[in-house]
Amino acid sequence: MPSASELLYYAVHPNQLRSIIQWKVWHSPVHERNAENESRELRRCFYFLDQTSRSFSAVIQELHPELLVPVALFYLILRGLDTVEDDMTIDLAEKEPILRNFYGILDKEGWTYNGNGPKEKDRQLLVEFDVVIAEFSKIKQAYRAIIKDITKRMGNGMADYANNAEHNTNGVNTLKDYDLYCHYVAGLVGEGLTRLFVESGLANPALLDRPHLHESMGCFLQKTNIIRDIREDFDDKRRFWPKAVWSKHVSNFEDLFDKANEDVALNCISEMCLNSLRHADECLFYLAGLKEQSVFNFCAIPQVMAVATLELVFRNPQVYQRNVKITKGDACQLMADSTNLRSVCNIFQAYIRKIHKKNTPKDPNFLDISIACGKIEQFIESIFPSQDPKAIAQARGKPVSAEDAEKAKNDAAARKEMLYLLLAVVGTLLLISFIMVGVAYLAGARFDIALSELRKGKLSPPVPGSEEAQKIIFQHDHGEL
Amino acid sequence: MLGHHIVSLLRERHPESLISVLDIRTTHNRHEGDGVMYFDGDITSRETVCSVLERARPEVVIHTASPTLMGGSKELFEKVNVGGTRCLLEASAEMGVKAFVYTSSASVVSDGVTDVINADERWPYVPRDLQTEIYSQSKADAEVLVLAANRKGGMLTTAIRPAGIFGEGDVQLVAPMFAAYKAGKTGFQLGDNNNLFDFTYVTNAAHAHLLAAVALLYACHNKIPTPDRRRVDGEAFFITNDQPAYFWDFPRAVWKAAGDTTGIDVKIISKGVGLAIATILEWLWWAAGKEPSLSRRQVKYSCMTRYYNIGKAKERLGYKPIVSLPDGVEKTVKARIYHFLALGYFAWTAR
Repeated sequence: MPSASELLYYAVHPNQLRSIIQWKVWHSPVHERNAENESRELRRCFYFLDQTSRSFSAVIQELHPELLVPVALFYLILRGLDTVEDDMTIDLAEKEPILRNFYGILDKEGWTYNGNGPKEKDRQLLVEFDVVIAEFSKIKQAYRAIIKDITKRMGNGMADYANNAEHNTNGVNTLKDYDLYCHYVAGLVGEGLTRLFVESGLANPALLDRPHLHESMGCFLQKTNIIRDIREDFDDKRRFWPKAVWSKHVSNFEDLFDKANEDVALNCISEMCLNSLRHADECLFYLAGLKEQSVFNFCAIPQVMAVATLELVFRNPQVYQRNVKITKGDACQLMADSTNLRSVCNIFQAYIRKIHKKNTPKDPNFLDISIACGKIEQFIESIFPSQDPKAIAQARGKPVSAEDAEKAKNDAAARKEMLYLLLAVVGTLLLISFIMVGVAYLAGARFDIALSELRKGKLSPPVPGSEEAQKIIFQHDHGEL
Repeated sequence: MLGHHIVSLLRERHPESLISVLDIRTTHNRHEGDGVMYFDGDITSRETVCSVLERARPEVVIHTASPTLMGGSKELFEKVNVGGTRCLLEASAEMGVKAFVYTSSASVVSDGVTDVINADERWPYVPRDLQTEIYSQSKADAEVLVLAANRKGGMLTTAIRPAGIFGEGDVQLVAPMFAAYKAGKTGFQLGDNNNLFDFTYVTNAAHAHLLAAVALLYACHNKIPTPDRRRVDGEAFFITNDQPAYFWDFPRAVWKAAGDTTGIDVKIISKGVGLAIATILEWLWWAAGKEPSLSRRQVKYSCMTRYYNIGKAKERLGYKPIVSLPDGVEKTVKARIYHFLALGYFAWTAR
């Protein structure tokens, strides 16, 4: 049930409510998962998918049947890995081998794990991980190989970070570290998904020749979330904002959260957003390589959410106080609109311009942000040109014949004459009205009475000399007496 | 200004080269030391040009001379830009020059009013009857002459079309912005500022000229003909910083570098209102016989989108900006402030 405050919110934001209703009522999925033909284990897997991912579950379940199960399992496997890594109650000695061997675990029929702390929200997934393993063994060998490869690399990356005392106490240091961290937690997912798409024949194989594109797909999402989650991560004693960035604005990380430093803290957000923004054009480039509708939606929806989130966090001091989120109505509207490259580009452009509007010369990265926004706009223009040199040449190229020129001249003269005529008519009418009103005024017309009676809605005058007419005159001339 | 920067870059990269500078006045911006000869003279005079070429005997001619955008009449533009270019071209071909690089302008495809969006070299010249800028028209006319002269008499030609050059010693773009800053006019914005615009830091423009000269010399000495898609001679190239920015963000960056603290809370005057005000001002000032502080031309210019796709220059010239836009702004403003500090210092010591 919606709370009272929610009801109040939607009462004054009908557009938001409208977007939500439209999405819920009119949205028809490209593909629909058919739960009836699924095994008990697979249904359990989808149950966990709903439990663990609020945002991804819906888009995954609309994927093409060929990819539905592999992608869902891929997600659950990485979520399982993440649940081990995130849990600080697990000893490093116990944690490290699990992370490094997680890809091998995928072949261990019946493997489950209940070493997670009781507070870990996704612990049940690992307690029943045998259902994931059972379903994993049923998918195509090629898909299994891709998922295992990514799991292996991500597990090793996570284990390295878990071992890295420096990282655990001081967080991310340089921009290179930041990119590497994002590569392990997001870039690799982008690679895995792209390989799955290409393997299934639903995406352009050329996407694999440009690995920086899927890297950007992951990084844009991850980096934007890292900006948004700063407060939450800070409360959990984790730091993902690179020191190379924040140390330019404050001397201690904690100072960012002090309201007295709001100006510099905002500049710090800007610089983080700028770093994120530089991936946006590559994300659009990537999306241009997707042809199958459900795959396109699956990839595009998180990206438009990210660009909307980026706009929301850009120079927003609230980010340091709480976890800001785009509204549910906006999210529904964005999901409904992310069905083709053209509209995704339009959404990007709209949010980029909003960011540009909030950009201020007081910011040390002012011009760089302007350029980063410009670059995205130029990229969109390169996919969907609004000017065509051939059309320009054609429109101008027609040699103007003497006859045409004469005709154009005559037309222009005729238009001018018409304009003068109109002006003369209007001018005459105005003059006559002015004279009439003036004469009436001099003769003692009571415009004040006429106007106030008109305002009361009486369009016709009372019969002269009638009682009503007398009353009106009396009111005006004697007021309240 | 551009010529000066080309000489600097040339001396830095090819110290062995012999450089001659021909300008109407060569007293400003002179380079110290050997290797640069200065000639005062008029490029529209065949005699002067021939005598200079006779003494210098150059392999390459880089032709950057032009009156400034705002500083010329129709006659002057035609005389210097078109006549001067024709004179230089003919004399150069005659004197056995191998490579001729002409500084054109990105405005040859812009009528000064209509948006130019991500234009590349396929965009046509603006026809004479639609061109509102006499400067742009003269640059286009000269460019046609230059490109038509390619491979005539053994000389290769090319045209570089920079967009919005600025830099140290710039009087066209940054100087008026400083004037606006001094007059405290930084709190206004004409239009919605969603219009992207290209600016080019002068060293990048100079770099493109040198790349073009090298490419022409290479084509000249290379016996194997270059395939059409790699050809530089007879071609024009747009040159920018490859960093289009929103129009008003550029002056704001300049003002900020100069010390301005105005934020984004500026007064926004829409294009329509701006045009109306400018029209009234133009009439009033016309009656008073003066130049108005806001003209319709300025309003249209600052509300216009104008940026280019420089893929061709990247591909064929191997061009890539060597100084970023923010760095260019920083350098330009610093140089200007030092310049004024130095002026102040001399004024003080002279007392």
